[in-house]
Order: sequence, then structure tokens, then C-alpha cells
Amino acid sequence: MTTTTSDQANIESPPMDFGDLKSQCVAPRPSIMGRRRSLSGILWLSAKGILRGLLTTLSYFRRPSTVVTQQYPENRDTLQMFERYRGRLSLIHNEDGEHGCTGCQICERLCPNGSIIVTKDKKNEATGKPALDQFIWRQDTCTFCNICVLVCPFDTLEMTGDFESSVYDRRLLVFNLNEYAGPTADQLEKLGDEELAKAQMKPMKKYQGPVPMCGGELDGIPKLDTGKSDDA
Amino acid sequence: MAQALMNLISAPLLAQAGRAAAGAAPSMERARTVSDRAADALQYSIWAAVLYIAIGLVAVLVVVSVLGLVMSYIERKVAGHFQCRLGPMRVGPHGILQSLADGIKLLFKEGIEPGHGDKVIFIGAPIFSITATILLLAIVPVAPGIQVVDMNVGVVYIAAVSGIGVMGILMGGWSSDNKWSLLGAMRAGAQMISYEISLTIAILVVVMFSGTLRVSEIIESQQQGWWIWRGHGVAIVAFCLYLIASTAELNRTPFDLPEGESELTGGYHTEYSGLRFSFFFLAEFANLFVFSALATTFFLGGWLPFHIGDYEAFNRVMDILPPVISPLFWFGTKCTVLIFVLMWFRWTFPRLRMDQLMRLEWKVLLPFGFANLILAATVVLTGLYFFPTAT
Repeated sequence: MTTTTSDQANIESPPMDFGDLKSQCVAPRPSIMGRRRSLSGILWLSAKGILRGLLTTLSYFRRPSTVVTQQYPENRDTLQMFERYRGRLSLIHNEDGEHGCTGCQICERLCPNGSIIVTKDKKNEATGKPALDQFIWRQDTCTFCNICVLVCPFDTLEMTGDFESSVYDRRLLVFNLNEYAGPTADQLEKLGDEELAKAQMKPMKKYQGPVPMCGGELDGIPKLDTGKSDDA
Repeated sequence: MAQALMNLISAPLLAQAGRAAAGAAPSMERARTVSDRAADALQYSIWAAVLYIAIGLVAVLVVVSVLGLVMSYIERKVAGHFQCRLGPMRVGPHGILQSLADGIKLLFKEGIEPGHGDKVIFIGAPIFSITATILLLAIVPVAPGIQVVDMNVGVVYIAAVSGIGVMGILMGGWSSDNKWSLLGAMRAGAQMISYEISLTIAILVVVMFSGTLRVSEIIESQQQGWWIWRGHGVAIVAFCLYLIASTAELNRTPFDLPEGESELTGGYHTEYSGLRFSFFFLAEFANLFVFSALATTFFLGGWLPFHIGDYEAFNRVMDILPPVISPLFWFGTKCTVLIFVLMWFRWTFPRLRMDQLMRLEWKVLLPFGFANLILAATVVLTGLYFFPTAT
């Protein structure tokens, strides 16, 4: 393989970064049919490849522990999903619980299947600027395409590694992502008045925070009778 | 009434006695299968014949259902070992109740029919599929006499009947009124019909070596040694062709394009649920056994132990098992090994693309099969294989 004069083999690709997984893109191996080989050569190569594959899996079969497989329900406490994993969408909140979403609705407009609904105050009384009211995310229709995260001009969205989301009713997969309805962290800082900022962050609606909108009224989504009143 | 019952029981014995009295040479007589016994009994009482037919039918049905349970369990365990998954360890000790739980789950699932589909064909497709398997199981020789029917055109029968399985899949895909099902079925049709040619050509090599189409005689012709090593490279190539073609016939990875769950959301059985779905898989798992059993029969000497020509001492060591257990042991061992190899393939090789699949068949396997067939004819005519006097 190494003695090939094919042009393909000389291409060196830069190392690529896959989050935690450091991997180098290796130049494609010259294909069996690309070079002129005798029939017996092709047969020999094929048989060798097949046998090598079979022996590899047989070694796994004999020692299953050498396979890198996560024993999922057992390792629930220590399980760390990869950085690039696209689980639940979430609005980034800083340590004070403030978000950076201005309610510009770019994500809503660019969402391919309308899984995001952003409602906003036309004019917030304290800052005099528009502020976020509700950031609704419908996981039941989301394809996890990541476009909303990419287009957000304020870098306030992220895909978390949270993937355990099975429920018995798809209406439970409609979330309100913002912990409070109000101005962004920047605007709250500009206010200068800590008391006023705190008042701005007080919950104004019943279903605030990243909880399922199971009790909330929303266009097109019927109200769900959970039987447990509002605590769900 | 009692007399009738006595007749029923003694009929085949009497018939056998009559045949022996007529002077049939006992050494030339084959072990009598269920259908032979039914035919003998027919001379005496029709009810005895019906009884034997019922016995054969029930035996095959029991084998199919037991195979479905056992195979799905083995498949899970083998897959779990290959990938270090603990999935099949949870239901019962070592997961032995998993198949049972699956069966109960499938029983309780709703059987849904697509609204605009062709209902009759939709319901008939899984039945077609399993019928092909049952017809094939009828000719599988487990041990001398433990075989439902042993006809003189056995190999032709196998080639003909295994084609019915394609019909089941095509019907299922067509009647589902679903583009994925249709695509899966079209792929299945193209694939299974193509690979059937290679399969038959591979078997023809053995037919040439043994000079018979009768399955039990093919096994008997391997008394001096199994064809896979007696036939030199020709038989080994034929065995490899058979293994590849039967993997494709079984729709197992790397040739599982008809299902192709990642690109066709289930392929031909997308619209099937509950018991109808399980019928397809019952047929598939039973077919896995059937094709392994046929490979055993054609290439590995069926129920015969490992013999080397006239080396009496070696052969006697191989014959050490009592005659009742020996055929079952040897047949079972060979079959299990082949089934494991097919499962091993599944967890090793990635799925092929459709054009690669077709190229492999029409440009590689088929020319090789024909060349191998001609070579085999030369080998047979010149008597170049080991112990040619045996045939």
C-alpha cells in the first residue's frame, strides 16, 4: 500500500477537531480497482480484508470487555455526552440566572420546521427596549439541526447533552426555555439599580423557566390534563 | 373401533414386512422418511397416511416456532458479545426469557393494515413467506429417517421452493402502499432472484460430484469424506459461493438491503406490525437454519461423522458415538457452526450499496460460479478428487 504512486496518497489533510475526539483525517487508501492488479491479486486482497475483519470481530467476541461500549443505564451518574452532541436546546443563563436573549426572533424565522416560537414585549418599562417574553421550543417537531444555535447573534442558545426525554404525551415536549421574562443581562447591567434589576427578573407568568408547557395555553397545542394540577 | 386402531398402528409395519418379503435388498434401502411411511400406510388405510402427514406437519411447525424462539435468543447473545452490550441479560437469568417476552409483546400488538393498501395481498404476504420456509424445512435431512420428504429431485425442489420467499416479500412491499416498502421489495426482488443463480450453481457442483439430486443420497455419497475437502479447491470455492449467495438469500448483513432500516425505515416490512411482522422474522430465522442445514448437507456431509476414506482406525474413533445420537450430534454441530458464521458476518461487515451488490453478483460471483462449474466437471470426469471410487 505504501509504495503506491497514486496522487491521492500524497494529499495530507490537516488534523480535524471533533470536540474531545482528536482525529486526523487520513488520505484515502488507493482503491483495489484503481490500480491495475491481476485477478489473483484482487482476490487475495479481498480475502485478506475479509479475514482481517472477521478476526477483529472474533477477538471482540472472545473478550467483549475490550469493546468500547458505554453501559448506559448503569453509568447514568457519570455519563458525559460529547461536546458536539445535540440533545435538548437550552437558553444559556449566567451564574446570576440572567440570559442574553433579546427576542430578535432570528432563530424563529430560520427554524426549518417552526419548532421555535419567540414572543416579546414591544417595550420593556424599565429599559425602554423590547424584551423577551417567552422562548417556546417544541422538541416534538425539532430535528436538532442546530441552525438556531448557529444563527443566534448573541450566542445565547446551546444544545445540551440531555437526551433522556421520553414521555408518554408529545405535549410534554413543549418547553419554555427562559427562566424569566425580561431584558437581557447587558440591559439589566445598564440599569445600574440592583433592586430594579431583581424586580425585572421576577417570574411574571405561571409557567416560567425550562419546564414543559404542559399547563400553558398555546396556539395549536391543546391544554394537557395531567391530573397533577400545576406542579408538573 | 379397537380393530381400526390396531390397523392404524400396524399398517406401516405390515407394509414394511411386505416390502421386505418382496425381496428389496436391505442394504440398498434408504432410511424411511415420514412421507415414505405415509405412502406405505396408504396401501392399507387412508387414515394412517393422514396421521403420518399430520405428524410431519406438526413436527415442521414445532421446529419453526422453536427455531424462532431459539434463534432470536442466540442472535441477541451473539450480537451482545460482539459489541459488549448487556441488553439480552435483563429478562430472566442470562436473558433466557427475552424471546418469550418478545413473543408476548408481539401477540398483544395491534395488527394495522394500511388504508389504501391491497388488503388481501397484505395479509397473504407473511403467510407466503413462512410457507416457503416450511416447504424448505420439509426436505432438510436431520438424521436418517428424520426427514419429512426425500424426493428424487430434491435439489430441483430446493431451488424452486426457495423462490417463493421472494414472492412473499414482493407482495408485502407492493401491497403496503408505501414508497419505502415498494423500494425495499424491489431491491429484495432484484437481489434474491440474482443470488439464487449463484446459489444453484454452487449446489450443482455437489450434484455433479455425488451424481444424484436426492438429498439423502448426496449425504450418503460423502461416506468417504465430506465434499468440501474431497473436492479440493473446486468444492471450497463452491462452498464460499454458497455461503455468500445464501447470506444474500437470507437478507442478512452485508446484504440486508431489502430491510435497510437506516435508509428505508424498515423496507418491505415497514407497514407490518405485531404477529404479521413476526411471521416475516420467524421465516427469516427459520431460513437461517434451513440454509445452514443445506450447506451442511451438500458440503459438510450432513449427519455423517468426519471420515477419511478407508482409514479404518481413524473412522472407528469418529464413529465412537452411539448410532442414535451420532447423526444428531454431527448435524447439530455443523449447523451451529455455520449459523454462528452467518451471525459473525452480520456483526463484521457493513451493508453494501445496491450497485455494489449487483456488481458482486453479476460480474464476480456468476462468472466465478460458471468457471468453477466447468472446472468441477473436469475434476469429476478425470476423477482427480480424493477417493473417486466411492461414488
